[in-house]
Amino acid sequence: MATVFSNDIVPAPGTRSAKKPPFTVSFNAFIVAVMSIAAVAVMYRSYQQFFALSKGLDATSVDFATYWLPVFRLELPVLFGAGIACWSYLLLTRDKALEKVTPVVELKRYFYLTMWLVAYSFAVYWTGSFFAEGDGMWHQTVLRDTPITPSHIVLFYACIPMYLFFGIGSFIYAMTRIPAFCRGISVMHVFAVVGPFLIMPNLGFNEWGHAYWLTEEIFSHPLHWGFVMLGWAALGLPGVLMQILGRMRELVPVVFGSRGDL
Amino acid sequence: MNDISVAKPNRDGRPRMKKETVIDVAGLTPDAAKWSRIFDFLVVGAVVTLFMGAMHLHVMLTVGDWDMFTDWKDRQYWVLLYPISAIMFPAALQAVFWTYFRLPIGATVGGVLLLLAVWITRIVQWHVWAGFPFSMMLPSVILPGAILMDVVLIVCGNGLFAAIFGGWLFGFTFWPANYEALALAYMPVNFHGTMASVSDMVGYTFLRSNMPEYLRIIERGTLRTFGGQVAWISGAFSAFICIIMHFLWWNLGVAMSTVKFVPNGKRMLALMGMKAPSATKAATASALPNTTLLPLA
Repeated sequence: MATVFSNDIVPAPGTRSAKKPPFTVSFNAFIVAVMSIAAVAVMYRSYQQFFALSKGLDATSVDFATYWLPVFRLELPVLFGAGIACWSYLLLTRDKALEKVTPVVELKRYFYLTMWLVAYSFAVYWTGSFFAEGDGMWHQTVLRDTPITPSHIVLFYACIPMYLFFGIGSFIYAMTRIPAFCRGISVMHVFAVVGPFLIMPNLGFNEWGHAYWLTEEIFSHPLHWGFVMLGWAALGLPGVLMQILGRMRELVPVVFGSRGDL
Repeated sequence: MNDISVAKPNRDGRPRMKKETVIDVAGLTPDAAKWSRIFDFLVVGAVVTLFMGAMHLHVMLTVGDWDMFTDWKDRQYWVLLYPISAIMFPAALQAVFWTYFRLPIGATVGGVLLLLAVWITRIVQWHVWAGFPFSMMLPSVILPGAILMDVVLIVCGNGLFAAIFGGWLFGFTFWPANYEALALAYMPVNFHGTMASVSDMVGYTFLRSNMPEYLRIIERGTLRTFGGQVAWISGAFSAFICIIMHFLWWNLGVAMSTVKFVPNGKRMLALMGMKAPSATKAATASALPNTTLLPLA
């Protein structure tokens, strides 16, 4: 593979001390994050199964106010609050000496960044596929009465903040802990995070259109194309992975040595 | 051992295919190989889940109406539009996999991920939640066309021919690839003295909120046959557009997987204890990223 290197901060291969401790990366937080995303998704889907068709058909009903509005009122501050807390933590605990990061630490941080991206992708799956087509099912079965439906309460106001948590988190993590991502802003990382992020404000256009223009839920209608084009920004993720991969190819021989050193 | 050819043969004389031989070629130590493999798994996790979500969202909101129910799978617009939309992400994935890794699997990966994502929702959402029967919600299948597209890429070895021949095959084979599953739905039946299809009957039984049918763009042809030539005509037109779509999305895939940076501001760099590069160094691309991965020659 043709690769261009500029070894400006990478020590020469083979300089690793023989007594260095083994390279380790903790997967605990990653496993907790992925399990949490899955648990939240299953919990929401179960709640829909039990209370959507029985208590959520009429936004003006007492049942709706009892079973669904509290979920809506609770999830937004909780999810965005958790996001702001996490992003603030990442920013405040940033590495203030990024120039002096050792190859071992840098390699570990690339692993952690990749874990952030996996968690982000996992959250995008539940939003873009699982609950999005669930919303299609809802509209084909029930139609819409207001923008706040049992389907939208999960898809728009829970799933989107959930992937924003991980998307923006990955961006702040990279910028505050990895030299290459701090030195220059990765354009593809911006695409991969900001594109899906803009789906949230695009909801305004979608709901405006459905409220005044087109109440029927024709999925291929241009009203939905904003979501589509912003979803295309997910293609930026391979660009981020390419950047990670390129740098890891430099770091791995330095951290682990090469066959010739054995 | 630095070359795969010097690996000891097996008892039957065939070359030994062990992990060590691959490691030798890559020049990795066992530890490095282990962590490299862990990284691979993480990347697979990211790619699979992200593109399941992104592809499904894209297809759902561009041609999802025709895909949801068998009685909306008409011969005019479903056969025409579905492949045009569904080829986009597979073409981009094909570009990424081929350009950087020489893996001719991108389109097939895209087809599998889309089918997997759609089936999960058809079962868990449509069937379990609302009780729609499976016979009514069979998803469209793009896998045969995607495999052909990858085969063309292997044979021809470049994106342009993959677009011209692979893209064409992707569009043209969509109808026959789906016909097997839907053949029964196209059977004519007598419904209160009027000719209808089996899928029409299923549709009359399971009403949906967006009916009546005139609210959507269902076919308005004059040659109303059950299947027949009109589907092939739609397929041929679709195949033509698929060539263009493949070309566009192949290049988009390459562009989006390219490493690009914008210089960070002095204040932001200072926050992280980094020094701003000099004016001349900042002007060069090498001052920004540590590494750039170039496409394979």
